[in-house]
Amino acid sequence: MTTVGKLLRERNIIFVTLACCLVFYLINPRLLSLDNLSAISRQIVPIGLIALGQFFVVVSGNIDLSMGMASVLFAIVLGVFFGMTGGVELGLLAVVASSLALGFFNGVMVAKLKLPAFIVTLSVLFMAQGLSGLIIPRGQQIFLMGGFFSYVGSETFLGIYLSFWFLVALFGLAYVVYNHTRIGTCIIAIGNSEENAKLAGINIDRVKIGIFMFSGLCSGFAGVMLSTRMGFVQPGLDGNGLLLDGIAAIIIGGTLILGGRGTIGGAFWGLLFIGLVNNALNLLNVEDVWHQVFKGLVILAALGANWILWQSREATAH
Amino acid sequence: METAGKTTEQSPSPAISALAMRYLVLAALIVIASLGFGFANENFFSLANIGILLRSISVLFIVSMAMTFVMLTGGIDLSVGSNVAFAGGVGVIALTATGSAPVGFLAAILAGMSIGLINGIFVGRMKLSAFMVTLATFALARGLALVIYDADSINVSNAIFLWLGGTSWGNVPVVIPFVVLVFAVLSVVLYRTTFGRDVYAAGANFKTAFVLGRRPERTLVWVYILSGALAGLSAIITVGRVSSGQPWAGLYLEFDAITAVILGGTSLFGGRGRLFGTILGVLLYGIIINGLVLTGTNPYLQSLIKGAILLSVVLLDSWTQRGKQR
Repeated sequence: MTTVGKLLRERNIIFVTLACCLVFYLINPRLLSLDNLSAISRQIVPIGLIALGQFFVVVSGNIDLSMGMASVLFAIVLGVFFGMTGGVELGLLAVVASSLALGFFNGVMVAKLKLPAFIVTLSVLFMAQGLSGLIIPRGQQIFLMGGFFSYVGSETFLGIYLSFWFLVALFGLAYVVYNHTRIGTCIIAIGNSEENAKLAGINIDRVKIGIFMFSGLCSGFAGVMLSTRMGFVQPGLDGNGLLLDGIAAIIIGGTLILGGRGTIGGAFWGLLFIGLVNNALNLLNVEDVWHQVFKGLVILAALGANWILWQSREATAH
Repeated sequence: METAGKTTEQSPSPAISALAMRYLVLAALIVIASLGFGFANENFFSLANIGILLRSISVLFIVSMAMTFVMLTGGIDLSVGSNVAFAGGVGVIALTATGSAPVGFLAAILAGMSIGLINGIFVGRMKLSAFMVTLATFALARGLALVIYDADSINVSNAIFLWLGGTSWGNVPVVIPFVVLVFAVLSVVLYRTTFGRDVYAAGANFKTAFVLGRRPERTLVWVYILSGALAGLSAIITVGRVSSGQPWAGLYLEFDAITAVILGGTSLFGGRGRLFGTILGVLLYGIIINGLVLTGTNPYLQSLIKGAILLSVVLLDSWTQRGKQR
């Protein structure tokens, strides 16, 4: 009984996702067809990268609101370099360098200058949006075609898209780092109490800067994946939608937004849930205008559910 | 938290002079910015033009005053811009359904308050972080606005509904004295009532406020409801200005309001700030963004400049704060 209760509490997202699958299957079996599942696996890659970067930021008790717009900016950086050189090597290098630099900037502002993360990353969001429109001629799109883009975008290995393999590998790496290294422990410690973490001898500034550099890098990767999926880049891409989806995924996955708690596995299930739902909304011809209502409601519901779960867990602990 | 506590413990005179200094700097910058745009455009100083300018930032005035209350409690409300669109939509639809302007007004304000209530319960009662909760309602309210408008604007011709945002007495738009009235009422609420004291107390030290029986959770709920109500009011003005309800009204308004409030000297950590500072902040920021729009600046350059302004103000504040603490 208690084990079932514990399983339900701690792995609730798995049941919610599976229940959703069942409902979708009953509504329209095509939702769970192999073709569609593989399409979903490709659609969720940029969201997943943003969710993964955001996960560490949120567990450390911060937030990175710039991730969505930054990934649009990095997609455009890649596109501009591709337009100039006709190759991707220089562009990829530029994306990695600039995304790490952006993360470093955010991290220094938050860690060294002690500014609130939401305000720093909110202003960076606007600057990224501005830059993305300035480095590309007004009203233009850059089309991305050829080897690299079609390779990453549509090549498969064992029947599964390469981009999804990349995402899974990164989640696996993150899982090991989070659960089995000192870095993971440090991040959780900082999220629980910065003062205690400092007393325990953790260099919190360095860890925080590292976290933001990772979230920056994830935005860069998300930008690259976005460009390979779309086949073109333009400044009007919906970066904030990506940000919201990423945040929704990790909150649905049970990450405590006040920091200190969360699991990589939960975040991954949350991501699958968001991917399934986004896809179902499209396939079931739900009008576009409802999507955003739905996203807001899902985040609020997950926030409320997490709150109730942590509340009850704290009650049983006493 | 501790820094806020420390500064409120200081004797009042240096704090006041620092505040006065800030207001003087802001006033000087407002004069410089107006002179700059005055040279660029000789009609800038005409009474009509000043009226137009003030009317175009009237909504920013009201939303920023609401944001000041929220930020005094140490919170943030990212949902106000979306809420302006949502409340406007509810108001316009109630108006077209009943044909009665008072019903429309009431509907708009109640709709705004309901989003505020959600924020208040999640932030105040459940103690979840304000930026996360209001980010969710930012998406929710915009989505609801798109749904009720069916992603299209609705024209409004009811003279009473449009009166507040659309009419002028000579060169003076009606909305300007109205903003002054709102400022007066909110000043009384903030400085002359126990609620106002509670707002400062909740932001300066939540735990102490709780221990003293000031029920800061309840204060927070009411602050977010107030923010929602003022978003509803702003929605009515917005609809009046353009004679139609727009699903994308108030886009990024929250960002402008946050910048103006921080410019006006309100602390990001709660407990410190005044409505008068916010008024100066809105004037300066409003003149700048209006000038950018009037000179036809590339909108992407505008968002780059806006982001840079916010970041540099926050940086400057933290730098001067640190200087003081040493």
